Amino acid sequence: MFGLPLSTFLLVFGFPLFWILYTIGFLLLSRSWERDGEER
Amino acid sequence: MNATVIAFLVLYYVVVLGIGFWAMRQGASEDLEGFLLGGRDVGPLVTALTLQSTSMSGYMFLGAGSLAYTTGYWSLWFAAGDIGGGVLNLSVIGRRMRKLSQVMGSLTAIEYLEGRYPSSATRLIAASLSVFLLAFYVLAQFIAGGKGMALVTGLDYSWALLIALSIIIIYTFLGGYLAVAYTDFFQSLVMIVGVVWILAAALAHVGGFTAANHALAAIDPTILSIWGRGLGFEGQWGVVAGAVLVFSAGYMGWPHVVTRHMAMRRPATARLAGAYATGWNLLFVSSPYLVGILAILILPSLDDPELALIEVARTLLPPAATGIVMAAIMAAIMSTADSLLLQTGSIASRDLYERFINPKASERQMVLVSRLLILAIGVIGYFVALVEPPAVAFVVIFATSVLGSAFAPAFVCAVWWKKANTPGAIASMVAGAVTSVAWELAGLATATTLAPVTAGLAASTLAIVVVSLATQNMSPVPKHILGAMEETARVGPIPEEMPAMFDFTLRPEAEEIESMIREGKK
Repeated sequence: MFGLPLSTFLLVFGFPLFWILYTIGFLLLSRSWERDGEER
Repeated sequence: MNATVIAFLVLYYVVVLGIGFWAMRQGASEDLEGFLLGGRDVGPLVTALTLQSTSMSGYMFLGAGSLAYTTGYWSLWFAAGDIGGGVLNLSVIGRRMRKLSQVMGSLTAIEYLEGRYPSSATRLIAASLSVFLLAFYVLAQFIAGGKGMALVTGLDYSWALLIALSIIIIYTFLGGYLAVAYTDFFQSLVMIVGVVWILAAALAHVGGFTAANHALAAIDPTILSIWGRGLGFEGQWGVVAGAVLVFSAGYMGWPHVVTRHMAMRRPATARLAGAYATGWNLLFVSSPYLVGILAILILPSLDDPELALIEVARTLLPPAATGIVMAAIMAAIMSTADSLLLQTGSIASRDLYERFINPKASERQMVLVSRLLILAIGVIGYFVALVEPPAVAFVVIFATSVLGSAFAPAFVCAVWWKKANTPGAIASMVAGAVTSVAWELAGLATATTLAPVTAGLAASTLAIVVVSLATQNMSPVPKHILGAMEETARVGPIPEEMPAMFDFTLRPEAEEIESMIREGKK
């Protein structure tokens, strides 16, 4: 892909994909945090 | 010297200083909480972008390009961890640290550590380590600023360094945290525009991404390898782990970065800030490395690889665009340097001066001490950067490796592990710092194929677990801290009576009364 070996392709594109999925998972799992509300 | 480039740089400095003045007029530095944490009123977008632009320093434009130019695609291991550094930090400790710091009334990251791991030794060790390492780290920013400005403006390095350094110090003085956060926000946008512009120009010049990789393979196929040019890192998973960890997990131990959590408007601000951080990183983080790799094709015989990005910009872009790119480079440098300076000043005034030298210091005196130290670092930094400037990449990777090794387990366990106690945290900070420094100085990374940050993080994590468990009876975690941790874990507003339990101004008296009661019982 793009003239890169598979391992390099995964390094360049796989890690960003992982962090996108991590962020989506974080947003979904932390929905209850909004209950913290204004504290001041 | 190109007039258009200079005009853009001047425009950039005017805008940055204007934002600094505006922040000052908002009353940011009227009291210490305002000066150090912007009154804990920073929203998710500004939190995310100040977090990211603070951590992306001059290293990204000088060090990253140099690393990529010399090692090829191997350098992308650093980007692999870095892309998720923001969201990892915010998701693991962001919400809890915001809440616990408010309960404890902590204004600096070090004060927070002392509140959670109560002992003056915690603060003394943490503050001393931080002041030294952050000052060392800021030195790299001065060098990067001087080098970049000298190349683009044609000024002598000593004058370029003096101008860059003066501007950084002036606007750090202006409004404290709020000035830093809002200028960081503006600078993060400039950084994105600058780096994407160079990458687009470089890709267009070499005929696209695939064509560039074919051309690189024709020069040396190992440039494309994940093991580095000449396969210099083949099978060295410990070094690879270090490259991934230093800007991801290690990032949770940088005091000037985790302070951003304490300044958030609400604990839940961490959610959206995490999403913004990932979005920004996806655009920004890999780009300098890719430009560094493409520079192998565009400028095959560079004398100083640290100038790869700047030289590519000068070669391919029109003067106006080079001016914007140069502003982006200065933005990366200055957005980190101001935060480092502010944090170092805060730690020196609040954690060393007030705590150990003048407990009755007024807020005005502490702001003065903070500003004097910033000035002193600037003067010392100027002469070190002038006489014997070390490589930017080396200084940044070394300083961040030691910071991450020393503090990441202590910050993570502070909110997640109730058994983490004072002896465990102190042992962890000392073990992490000593191991990572010794690893670097003794050259053990090559012999063991383990990066200093990998060894340092392993040592500090092991130390906090083993020592905390071994000293549970001798030094249990105080009940009011366990209560605060339970409150921190719970999602909901903080009860009004909770923060009073951690009143720092009453602590010496409370300790005295407690010891009198103990002695009375005997």
